[in-house]
Amino acid sequence: MNLDAIAAIATEYPERQSAILPALRLAQEEHGGWLPPEAIREVADALDLAPAQVEAVASFYDMLHLAPVGKHMVEVCTNLSCALVGAQQVLQAFEEQLGVAPGETSEDGRFTLRAIECAGGCGRAVVVVVDERYREPVRPEDVPGIVEELKRGD
Amino acid sequence: MSATELVTVTVDGREVHVPPGTGLVETALAAGVEIPVFCYEPRLGAAVGACRMCLCEIEGMPKLQAACTLTATNGMIVRTAQTSERAAEGQEATLEFILVNHPLDCPVCDKGGECPLQDLTFRWGPGNTRMTFPKRTFEKPIPISPAIALDRERCILCYRCTRFSESVAEDGQLVALNRGAESVIATFEDEPYLAPFSGNVIELCPVGALTSTQYRFEARPWEIQNVPTVCGLCPVGCNIQATTREGKVKRILSRNHPEVDEGWLCDKGRFAFTHLRARDRIADPLRRVRRRGFDVLSWDDALGEAAELLMQAQGRIVTALSGSETVEQAYALGRLMRAGLGAHTGVLPEETSPALDAFRLPLSAIRDAELEPVAERAPIVELWVKAARRQGAQVEQAGDALEGCRRLADKRNALGKSLRESERAILIWSGEEGAGGAHLAALAKELGFAGKPASGAFHLPCTPNGRGIADAWAAASDDEGPNPEPIGLLFVSGDEAAADPNVRALAERAERVIVNAMFQGLAVGWADLVLPGTSYLERDGTYVNLEGRLQRLRRAVIPPAPDELAWISKLAERFAVEVSPHASAVFAEVSERIYDGLPFGEVGEEAPLRTRSEAPAPQLPSEPAAEGKGLRLVRYRPLFSGPAVERVPELQFQRPAPEVELSPGDAGRRGIAPGETVTVTHNGTSLQLRARITKSLREGIVRIAAEHAGELGGTVEVAK
Ligand code: SF4
Ligand code: SF4
Ligand code: FES
Ligand code: FES
Repeated sequence: MNLDAIAAIATEYPERQSAILPALRLAQEEHGGWLPPEAIREVADALDLAPAQVEAVASFYDMLHLAPVGKHMVEVCTNLSCALVGAQQVLQAFEEQLGVAPGETSEDGRFTLRAIECAGGCGRAVVVVVDERYREPVRPEDVPGIVEELKRGD
Repeated sequence: MSATELVTVTVDGREVHVPPGTGLVETALAAGVEIPVFCYEPRLGAAVGACRMCLCEIEGMPKLQAACTLTATNGMIVRTAQTSERAAEGQEATLEFILVNHPLDCPVCDKGGECPLQDLTFRWGPGNTRMTFPKRTFEKPIPISPAIALDRERCILCYRCTRFSESVAEDGQLVALNRGAESVIATFEDEPYLAPFSGNVIELCPVGALTSTQYRFEARPWEIQNVPTVCGLCPVGCNIQATTREGKVKRILSRNHPEVDEGWLCDKGRFAFTHLRARDRIADPLRRVRRRGFDVLSWDDALGEAAELLMQAQGRIVTALSGSETVEQAYALGRLMRAGLGAHTGVLPEETSPALDAFRLPLSAIRDAELEPVAERAPIVELWVKAARRQGAQVEQAGDALEGCRRLADKRNALGKSLRESERAILIWSGEEGAGGAHLAALAKELGFAGKPASGAFHLPCTPNGRGIADAWAAASDDEGPNPEPIGLLFVSGDEAAADPNVRALAERAERVIVNAMFQGLAVGWADLVLPGTSYLERDGTYVNLEGRLQRLRRAVIPPAPDELAWISKLAERFAVEVSPHASAVFAEVSERIYDGLPFGEVGEEAPLRTRSEAPAPQLPSEPAAEGKGLRLVRYRPLFSGPAVERVPELQFQRPAPEVELSPGDAGRRGIAPGETVTVTHNGTSLQLRARITKSLREGIVRIAAEHAGELGGTVEVAK
């Protein structure tokens, strides 16, 4: 892993602890979208911290993953504004199309589906985040198209 | 506002005057009102307000406030649950919330009977539960380490344990994972919590979530007794309570002495007590017999035999001391050997020097210092140094003792210059080349510490009572005598002496050997006569710790054999020397000679530190240390070593690995990576050890635990 990059990040903060989050983001990118224990240990070593301190941060934040994720990450906001205009139905449509429940990864390892809290796009609800890019607004009938598009792109 | 000005706060209608900035919990206490708390613990740093148990109404603030996070300001009006309906409701709701998922398995919980959650629920909580659904369950108990078990169901997430790990011990190994309702206390990947102070989290936990594996299901609070005494396993002398039940020590708890230990213990002091019940503990006197090995003797026969051996030696006796004897024991032994038999030769476990008494300070002064050159580490001292660093003190590594002293004494040295200028500077040294603190005293004098009451110096000895026994042995007689040659009899006092290779070497040259030891493994095979030894938990008397503080040791449990004072007194009788079998009487005699007649009863539960006293300061030896090629080897005695630790299964995982510690620079130049096997050579002997890179180590120095250093010494070379 890119330990020098982490060390460089660390110099931008007054305390090493503050560099944990950006360092973990970097580590997650390099480890295929999730943080195996080795990644956490590497970050801890690079920042001269105990691995438990790094794991505490990694397990706190929702966008850091401690288990393997699929090639594509589909996240449906189910918080208030989105819920009011049918987030549940959108989520359900994804469940049917992908054959997985929220929080799960499809058996072929291609898709992970998650229900998330407010994505900050309430004005154009329902918000669906696909591989870190926002689709908004999404209706249940748009879902097959999105899934088709992702499958085709592979 | 000047610091001496006080602010007025009204708590439940009572006015109190406290210094501004006093915590509200303490302010209320000053008014005689208790605010209940779980997470609040000032020793852990700033309050976190995690549990909300301390809710109070404060005039002018619309919502209930967590009192532990507030400090006293002038005119503040506080109403606690005693007088405020809202606060009482808030507290009850907090408890109801905490209990939603708490198992309430008090009947099988070790904390039951001494549990703050039980007590506060009884006093402030709802009498009933509205929750009808099943409670959360976890796998349990989870071994946090071989010594600590975790019951996650009982955890109330007060974060005391994780705050200790993060900001007192600074090991960062115990953390809270996840967030909100999912939060759990854990170590990384379930690895054991491997740190020298881990056991303190058991005592900090306000519920039965973190428990001691040694104490699990062993006793109930109403069947135990807590005996106030001091730890006898290292020279810090932490104040402890020994919990006993039916004549057995069941656990060791801290007993906060704010100047010595601040209520923290190291894991050796906390967990090593089971050595009292070691399998090879000696309960009866033993005599060597040809071919059969050993015979058990009656005490009468044993004392007869001992007297016979002492007589036959005709004064050609050498006494090897351990440094773990009480002051009284060393004095009594001195009376017997020196006054009774004219045998003045004592082999002390280490050098000690009275010169440092002129620079005496309580350990707590370390926290408040601004500049601290440090050579080496010792258990609780390490926590004080960490506290100082957190408060902004400048802590410097000073290399090894003698060389460091020389460097700082030099007027041109920059650090030495700052030390001369500082009003609050403390030197912390250890190591055999320090001449028992004499060199350090010379340095402190040179730096002008004599006139600065907040500057001082500590030399960390290796043995728990090295200073005490040296003074007591010296006080036992005014006569002197030549060292006997050949040695007629070697008397070995205590297990540490029995384990010491130098003492073993002396035994080779002695015609006869008497060993006084607790463990068969250390006595059998080389002693003609073995007299059973006792532990610090089984003796009455006094110890002198590394500050020079005289502290009281109390017998927590009766030893399996008479203690040393009892039989030394009997033996002395045969040689017409009067020695009392009672510690109090022996102390009175010693005290007349060396402690200004201080009465035994006044040594006290929270012993004060004697004032500084002048002693002629020695000179620093001027010729520079032999600068050999290669790296200077520092052999150190690790915290987790010694006869007691070796006999405690829960501490085996803490014992030092066969490693050599190198500074990053030295390792880099030799192309050595962490974890690699390297060869350490000195004068043709060599050893294979694993390399460990220690950032805080000065270049040119390597460290190896004595038990893994074999014959190595002086300067060594390290290669892949
Ligand atoms: S922690 Fe306290 S309240 Fe909880 S089960 Fe144990 S004794 Fe009972
Ligand atoms: S284990 Fe004990 S000390 Fe640690 S957070 Fe839970 S209740 Fe608090
Ligand atoms: S609630 Fe869905 S984006 Fe805000
Ligand atoms: S004691 Fe005040 S919030 Fe815990």
